Amino acid sequence: MPDERRDDRTVRLVRAAQRGDTLAMAELLDLLAPYVGRVCAPIALDQAADAAQDALVAVFKSLRTLKDPAALHGWARAIAVREAVRTAHRAARALPADLNALPARGDPQLSADIRDVLDRLSPEHRAVLMLRDVEGLDERTAASLLGVRTGTVKSRLHRARDTFRKAWTS
Amino acid sequence: MNELWPTTDLDPVRRLHALAAGIRGAHVTEAHVDAPFERVWSLLGDLEGGFGQVVTDMERLRVVRRQGERVEALARSRYGMRARLRGVQRPGWCWLQSRFLLLGVAAAPDGDGTRVAFTGGVRVPGRAALVPLGVRVEGRRSLERLTALL
Repeated sequence: MPDERRDDRTVRLVRAAQRGDTLAMAELLDLLAPYVGRVCAPIALDQAADAAQDALVAVFKSLRTLKDPAALHGWARAIAVREAVRTAHRAARALPADLNALPARGDPQLSADIRDVLDRLSPEHRAVLMLRDVEGLDERTAASLLGVRTGTVKSRLHRARDTFRKAWTS
Repeated sequence: MNELWPTTDLDPVRRLHALAAGIRGAHVTEAHVDAPFERVWSLLGDLEGGFGQVVTDMERLRVVRRQGERVEALARSRYGMRARLRGVQRPGWCWLQSRFLLLGVAAAPDGDGTRVAFTGGVRVPGRAALVPLGVRVEGRRSLERLTALL
């Protein structure tokens, strides 16, 4: 579907949902669930499903406050990143760190390598990396989304990339 | 390389919780039942059969139109009220609304059994809200009826 038509559909669905049409809400859920899953998983890792559910709960609870329906995805992304970082921190507090549980290096599957590297980063670093490399955001946008200064994002990104590169080439 | 990054897909029960969170007054009744998903959904997915026996006080539910996942059904309650329900039905998921009624059912495999969730009630026109009367009781009754039928 061309972007313009997809955007029109999104705007129509958001407005209908804001008027109380629960079928429009269900369609929005189908639209947003895979996207929110892609944002939450690299940050929340094993808690990805909990994070994505919490993010979508927050999205639908506050859908009435969304003033610009065309901004739905960016708005949902900000909520998803916040919930994923929070969920990851909550899980880290609840579970004792077990270094033996780290996956072995040199896994033949590249996707497993990405997961391996993400495991070594803090939730904030994972968020910065995902926003840049998956979502294609510039540093300033990523900084405002995470509520930190651009310089902080730059240094986090530098460290995340460094870890990423070292693990990738080890 | 984006396709190599981890992702997650929410099961229908989690999705039901998310959607119900946006509907004021809605309550989700969730439980594990000791029956495989296929058995549970053969009942709940049968709109003109098991669904009406489990989910509502409907005397009869008749599907009048179906296009892919979209479905339209006429329902008549035991008290004589009629409703034209529209919505979406797919394995593990059923979401139907009429002007005054909302029915949501979800199911997902859970080990050897199934996790099921119900929500719904009488809609407040023009708002994403339900009249907060009987929503908990109705969910509990749906669960009891389902367990009895399995």
